Amino acid sequence: MNLTSLSVTELNTLIEKKEIKTEEITLAYLDRIQEREKDISAFITVLKEKALASAKKIGQKKERGRLAGIPVAVKDNILTKGVRTTCASRILENYLPPYSATVVRKLEREDAIIIGKTNLDEFGMGSSTENSAFFPTKNPWDLRRVPGGSSGGSAAAVAAEQAAASLGSDTGGSIRQPAAFCGLVGLKPTYSRVSRYGLVAFASSLDQIGPLTKTVEDNALLTQIIAGADPQDSTSSSLPVPDYKKEIREELLSIKAAYLKEEALEDINSEVKDFYYRTLNAMEDIGAELREMDFPSWKYALPCYYITAPSEASSNLARYDGVRYSFRHPRYSNLQEMYLNTRSEGFGEEVKRRILLGTFTLSSGYYDAYYLKAARARKLICQEFEKAFEKVDFILTPTTPEPAFLIGEKEDPIAMYLSDIFTVTANLAGIPALTLPVGLNKENLPLGIQIVANFFQESRIFKLAFLLEKKVKFDNNKLNSHRKEE
Amino acid sequence: MNPKIDLDHICALANLKLTEEDKKRLAPQMIKIIKWVNKLEELKFDVSRGELYSSVSFFLPFRQDKRQPSFSIEEALGNSPEKNGGFIKVPKVIEEK
Repeated sequence: MNLTSLSVTELNTLIEKKEIKTEEITLAYLDRIQEREKDISAFITVLKEKALASAKKIGQKKERGRLAGIPVAVKDNILTKGVRTTCASRILENYLPPYSATVVRKLEREDAIIIGKTNLDEFGMGSSTENSAFFPTKNPWDLRRVPGGSSGGSAAAVAAEQAAASLGSDTGGSIRQPAAFCGLVGLKPTYSRVSRYGLVAFASSLDQIGPLTKTVEDNALLTQIIAGADPQDSTSSSLPVPDYKKEIREELLSIKAAYLKEEALEDINSEVKDFYYRTLNAMEDIGAELREMDFPSWKYALPCYYITAPSEASSNLARYDGVRYSFRHPRYSNLQEMYLNTRSEGFGEEVKRRILLGTFTLSSGYYDAYYLKAARARKLICQEFEKAFEKVDFILTPTTPEPAFLIGEKEDPIAMYLSDIFTVTANLAGIPALTLPVGLNKENLPLGIQIVANFFQESRIFKLAFLLEKKVKFDNNKLNSHRKEE
Repeated sequence: MNPKIDLDHICALANLKLTEEDKKRLAPQMIKIIKWVNKLEELKFDVSRGELYSSVSFFLPFRQDKRQPSFSIEEALGNSPEKNGGFIKVPKVIEEK
C-alpha cells in the first residue's frame, strides 16, 4: 500500500482499525521527502528525529487525537517552539521561537506529527516562492514552474506527497494561489476564525492561517481543528466552531451562486476560462441557481491591497532592528548604523520594496491620499460583497488568471502582483474563500476555481466544494502515479 | 504625471540603506507601482468623511487581569544577539561629545 498517496481521512481510518502503526506513516513520508526533496525543495527544515520520536510516543498512547500520526507540514512563518522559524529571511535565519503558534499547539494536541517547516516568499511577500532568501521551490507538476506563493512550500509538499496536509497563511491569496497551482484544496478562513497568535505578522488586518489538503473533507477536518477563540489573540472570534467534517455530508438547501461577467474575464488565460464555464455547468447539474453579477469595485482591489498591505508591513517589520531577533550585522559604529546595516543586509529586495512603499504611503503629506483612500476603497469593496450576499450564497471565480508560470518568468513586480487579482478581494473584505482543483490544462497543469461566501460560512463552502469535488473528479494522485510510471 | 518620491527621505524613515545601484533599480519600480495604485484617484470620495474599514466588527475582549506564567528572562532574551546579565546589550544610545 502506498501510504503517502492517501488522504488524511483514509490514513485516520487505517490507524483506527489498527491496520497500520503511526511510525510506519511517518517513516513512509520521511522516505518520500528523502526521495523527492532534491527536485522540489519544499522544506526549509525537515524534522526527522522529532517526527519519529513523536510518532513513537503517539503510537503508545491509548487515547489518541483526531490527527493521530498524520504528518503535517507547517509554513515557516508559523512559530514552532525550539524549532528554527525563518520566514525564509536572512534576518530570522537563526531565530528559535520561545513558544508555538496556537495552530501548532492545536495540531499537536490532536497528535499530528509536525514533519517540517516549509519554504515561502520572504515574510509571505510574493506569489511564486522565488522571493525566499534561501532557494526557490519547484512545482511538482512541472519542475520548471513555480508552485505559486507565498505558501509555495506548503503546497508543493502536499502535492509531492511529502506531507499529508499542510498549513499556510494567506494575506492576498497566499494559500489559494499555490493550492490552485499545485492541484490542492486550500482555504482562507473568515478573518478572526483562526487565531493568528504565533503567525509572524505581515499585514495584520489581512493575514489568516488556513489548511492545504488533497480533499475537501481533509480541509474541513483541519479547519475544524485549528479554528476557534484564543485568549492570546483578541481578534479571534468567540463564535462556536461547527463540526465541518460532519456537516459536509448534510444537504445544501439553497445553492444560489453568482458568476462573473464575461468582461471581467477578458485578460485571463483561455483554458482557465474554459474550466470556469465547465464548473458553472457542473454547478447547474447539482441544482445551483446561477446569476451573472458585476463587481465594479474589484478593479480597485489590487491598488487598495498594495497600499494597505505594505503600509501594515512597514510597521510590522520595524521590529527587526538587530536588537531582539537573532541577526545583527557585525559591522557598525553606532546604534543607528546597527539598525541600518542589519535591516539592509537582512531583508531581501521584495521586502525592502514593500517596506519603502508602505513607509511612503504612511508618510506625512501622503497618508490621506494613499492610506486613508485605500481604507475607504476597502469599505466600498466590503459593501459590494454585502449587497451581493443579499441575493446569493456564493460567488464563483477562477482562483488564478493563469496556470503555474515558469520560474523567472515574472520579473516585473506589477506582473507578479496581478497573480492575486481574484483572491485579494476576500482578504480585503475578511470573508472566507476556498480553491478547489477542477482539472488539468493541455500541459498537465492543475487549475482551480474559487468559492467565496459570506462571513463564517465555511460550512456552506465545504458542502458546495464537496458536491463539486465529486462532480469534477480531479484526481490528485494522477501526478504521482504518472511519475511512478516514468 | 509621475509621482514624486524622495527615496532618500523614505529610506531614512524606514531605516534602510540602499546602494546607488539599488536606488537606480528601485526608484523607477516604485514610481511605476505608485502610478498603478493611483487608480484609486478615480474614486471621487472625500476621505475625511464616511466609513473606513475595520477588520473585526465585534468587541475586542480583554483577558482577565490575572497573573499567569510568562517567559523566563532566558527565554525572552534567547534570540537577542548580544546580552549581559539579564539585559539586551546595544551600542550606546546617548553618545558623549
